[in-house]
Amino acid sequence: MNPEALQVLIVDDSLTVRMDLEEAFRPAGFNTTLCSTIGEAREALSRGVYALVVLDVLLPDGDGLSLLQEIKTTARSRDIPVLLLSSEAEVEDRIRGLKTGADEYVGKPYNKAYVLARSRELLRARRPDRPAPPGTHVLLIDDSETFRQQLREALEARGFAVAVAPSGEEGLRMAADARPRAVIVDGVMPGIDGATVIRRVRGDAALRTVPCLLLTASEDRGGELRALDAGADSYARKEQDLDVILAKLTAMLRAAGEQPSSDALPSLLGPKRILTVDDSPTYLNALAAHLRGEGYEPILSRSGQEAIDLLAVQIVDCILLDLVMPGLSGHEVCRRIKGTPVWRDIPLIILTAKDDQGAMIDGINAGADDYITKSDDFETLKARLRAQLRRKQYEDENRNIRRELLRKEVEAAEARAARELAETRARLLEEVEAKNRELESFSYSVSHDLRAPLRAIDGFSKILLVEHSQALDTEGKRLLGVVRESVKTMGDLIDDLLEFSRVGRAEMTRSSVVMNALVDSVAREMIGTDSSRVIDFHRADLPEAAGDRAMLRQVVANLLGNAVKYTGPRNPARIEIGARAEGDEIVYFVKDNGVGFEMQYVQKLFGVFQRLHSSREFEGTGVGLALVKRIVERHGGRVWAEGRVGEGSTFFFTLRKDGGSNA
Amino acid sequence: MRDLNDVEILLVEDNPHDAEMTLRAFTSHRLANRVHHVTDGSEALAFLFRTGAYAARAASATTRLILLDLKLPKVDGLEVLRRVKSDDRTRMIPVVVLTSSNQEKDIVETYRMGVNSYIIKPVDFDKFVDAVKHLGLYWLLLNRVPGEGGETS
Repeated sequence: MNPEALQVLIVDDSLTVRMDLEEAFRPAGFNTTLCSTIGEAREALSRGVYALVVLDVLLPDGDGLSLLQEIKTTARSRDIPVLLLSSEAEVEDRIRGLKTGADEYVGKPYNKAYVLARSRELLRARRPDRPAPPGTHVLLIDDSETFRQQLREALEARGFAVAVAPSGEEGLRMAADARPRAVIVDGVMPGIDGATVIRRVRGDAALRTVPCLLLTASEDRGGELRALDAGADSYARKEQDLDVILAKLTAMLRAAGEQPSSDALPSLLGPKRILTVDDSPTYLNALAAHLRGEGYEPILSRSGQEAIDLLAVQIVDCILLDLVMPGLSGHEVCRRIKGTPVWRDIPLIILTAKDDQGAMIDGINAGADDYITKSDDFETLKARLRAQLRRKQYEDENRNIRRELLRKEVEAAEARAARELAETRARLLEEVEAKNRELESFSYSVSHDLRAPLRAIDGFSKILLVEHSQALDTEGKRLLGVVRESVKTMGDLIDDLLEFSRVGRAEMTRSSVVMNALVDSVAREMIGTDSSRVIDFHRADLPEAAGDRAMLRQVVANLLGNAVKYTGPRNPARIEIGARAEGDEIVYFVKDNGVGFEMQYVQKLFGVFQRLHSSREFEGTGVGLALVKRIVERHGGRVWAEGRVGEGSTFFFTLRKDGGSNA
Repeated sequence: MRDLNDVEILLVEDNPHDAEMTLRAFTSHRLANRVHHVTDGSEALAFLFRTGAYAARAASATTRLILLDLKLPKVDGLEVLRRVKSDDRTRMIPVVVLTSSNQEKDIVETYRMGVNSYIIKPVDFDKFVDAVKHLGLYWLLLNRVPGEGGETS
């Protein structure tokens, strides 16, 4: 008993079946536990750890299905795959078994190799990827036990990992199960010969590229040619030194190079389920026997409705469909199957009676892939079946390749698009930055060059006023005063405009701003300095803000400055600053009891150079509020105002709590 | 003609109106005769390094203060500043940059060339007084009666 091998639990009341299955599983490297009743099986399950259960449905002490249910609802055993074995050949039993939770359902009489192959599939699906055994994996197929032993020892001595098969059929199944790096096959064997094995390997998408070495008998001259015809990569004569065989194997492997893994594709040589639908039990059984002989699992269904019910719970690899049946006609079944997306691609062969050409044409029109006349000669049917399965294999392969190509194209296109997007963005960013720099230097030039003549006007008019005052009468002095005032205004305008432009472009440095301290600092500057005014100033506790400190200071300065300005006529002036949280925003406000404004002009308030009071009443350039608006909007907030003429105004602005912005 | 060896303040200003206003400010406080006015950067350098037209200036005659405008023809104000601050002979001379705005001041600051002080034009004399006091050049403010000759220091 190999302690590392997987354990299989076989439950069947028939001794023959138990022995038979043991004979199949043991050489394949499994350990087996045999039980003949449900009671025994329960015992075994509680004591041991099993990788797979093969379970007969009809047992002396109960229904296998109830044990199945137990297994599937117990945490400890839930994940163990269960293969149901049953002499109940009715489709409804199969459906019931599958619905109860069986992972596979094989009808009796069964094909041993098929059971083994399906079991391996179930186990492969369950277990995590085992690392490949060290050393190159080689499959050796030869019917002579002595030779197998000899060659295997020689190969293992050279560091190869060797799997052996006593027959071509078994060899093909093993190759499908675990793809070898190379195959060494004897030319002459009972059953299918080496050349056929190689041909089948070449015909399988998953194994196509595996190099094959054919061993020939010395007298068999023609064998060499046949070998090469069949697609062998190399051949060697069995009588030759094992070293020669090894050398040829090494050369072959070297020539083959690295082979890409194609695990994704199921092997053509893997186990196939064939659904046969015919109302004649005689024909069904005869057909089933042939199919089993080929290594397929036949599922027998006696009516179209049964067939459709089965397809709903289990997928099959090919459908053989009799046209003439009571109940749901073969024609209708064919139409339905071909009309269902998930079944559409299953190869469907219709079986017709001799000389029934009309029915045959109908069948093809209904979507069947092929037709065959029912007869005693099953060879043609088997060949057609093989052909259909091969065709489907190629189609799947093509579809996979196309899908892969498409995926690669899409990936490449996406990568290209992403690259282009990044390039465009980088280019645009550069352009914007260049424009910004241009604008910056333009503004600087403008400011500098406009100021120079202003300086002159201001300076020289002052000199005129001071040093030539005796030449000027009162009116003259007043006129000059207007000139000087205008110069001052122009200077302020230039400064404000430049500031406005700068704020729109400047980088914002985000930080946490303590609004209490900021407001107090601004208030000190604006209110503290003027002793001639009585200002009642109140600041509520303000929540911290997230934003650019310098810019926010400007906002507060402008709003507070306005409040101070427009409460000029008031004694005492009352100015209040507060805030309240609203959702994900904080709403700050500056309220004053100043001259107020008419609400109908509220839209104009925040426009550039828009003023609601003449400069005679209140000085100012009309840019202050526009500046406030711009700064607040850059912070992702909003501004608005409420006012009543003669009573005062309140200016509001919001800032996002999270400090997000439209930067 | 003023004795060029007598100059203590170099005014580098290309705008004639700005220059006139500055000189007027100095005149009213009797500093005008100690100011030499040049109108471009290359002349400023020639004066400071005694080349070209100024080759005859005595080595002992030292400039005590430079009032430097930035936008100058030929050699730019910043370039003059750089030359002054990188030469051992002139490095210690205090430089007061004449700027036309606070923004301009900010820009110059980015060059970090050791500007000692800034005055925003037009040169307000009180501000000028603050600047020289800040630079420790009190003696510059001592009045000099024109024509009396002799140094007071």
